[in-house]
Amino acid sequence: MSTTHEHSHAPIQDEDATSEFNVLETAIRELAVEKGLFSAEDHRRFLEWAESRGPAGGSRLVAKAWVDPGFKQRLLSNGTEACKEVGIDWNDPTGKGTPSDYTYFYVLENTPEVHNVIVCTLCSCYPRPVLGMSPAWYRTPNYRRRMVRQPREVLAEFGLDLPLDVAIRVHDSNQKSRFMVMPMRPDGTEGWGEEQLAAIVTRDTMIGVALPQADWKADRSPAETPRSAGR
Amino acid sequence: MGTRTPYDILMHSLPDAPASFERTLPDLDRTPAPWEGRVQATCECLSWCGTLDHLERRHAEDELGETVYARFPVHARSVLVTAHSLLDQGVISEEELEAKMKEVRSRFESA
Repeated sequence: MSTTHEHSHAPIQDEDATSEFNVLETAIRELAVEKGLFSAEDHRRFLEWAESRGPAGGSRLVAKAWVDPGFKQRLLSNGTEACKEVGIDWNDPTGKGTPSDYTYFYVLENTPEVHNVIVCTLCSCYPRPVLGMSPAWYRTPNYRRRMVRQPREVLAEFGLDLPLDVAIRVHDSNQKSRFMVMPMRPDGTEGWGEEQLAAIVTRDTMIGVALPQADWKADRSPAETPRSAGR
Repeated sequence: MGTRTPYDILMHSLPDAPASFERTLPDLDRTPAPWEGRVQATCECLSWCGTLDHLERRHAEDELGETVYARFPVHARSVLVTAHSLLDQGVISEEELEAKMKEVRSRFESA
């Protein structure tokens, strides 16, 4: 082993880095399969599950809750069960969830007085069945340490400046509990259907680092809508 | 928890992050490459089969990611630390990993 950094090549760009890390990923996986730790089929099953999950599941939950008071009540009182109404089962893909996802799911409702935000100070627990893979920044010690100590400053980094009379509640995930934020329905969305509403409920609004806007959709690039104007 | 000594095979064969990388939290936002999703599935499999517990790996990722592997981008630290932990446990050797990486790289380049 060595503690020095002796290789000679210059730093290279991310696409090249990706291919080298791709090599490492493939090597580890193939060695693990060759040693019988798990099968290629096991891996495919977990990968297929993960790739089928994304923020669209959470967006559907929020949009449905915005238009259906009965569903909203069920979602707030038992998130894990209510998810089944939109086809999300926290027991997938093994019947007991994944090693990191079999937990209780709680939805946190934002109000004019209280803004919620989620974090995992212990590791990087994230409600993957409803939001998919966590963003890289969510997993950093930087976010996890600072969000609990300086939430207003961290939110401001994301462009979210909340009035001082709005309390911020930071919810720390753990091995038993996963959280997701239900943002307030924004003005200008009166009469909208669930699908139209779901389009403005982005990943970041359900983590709590952004607020939904009637003119901002997750599939709209910043080039089309200036970030400062749209968020 | 893994040892704090980096492995040559990881330090020598992988590239540094570009110097401008990771200035603020929102700067880290990016669309994950396909291999990143496969790493997470590998981590699930390793935890599921009892070889490398999910929480133990995440703690190692915090410790090693901020120290010996700090020069690599955040999104690459899962695969680095998974490799490091498997080397620590003796599940794979440096020689095995080096040979397999060479084989995989050759396969990719000829594809």
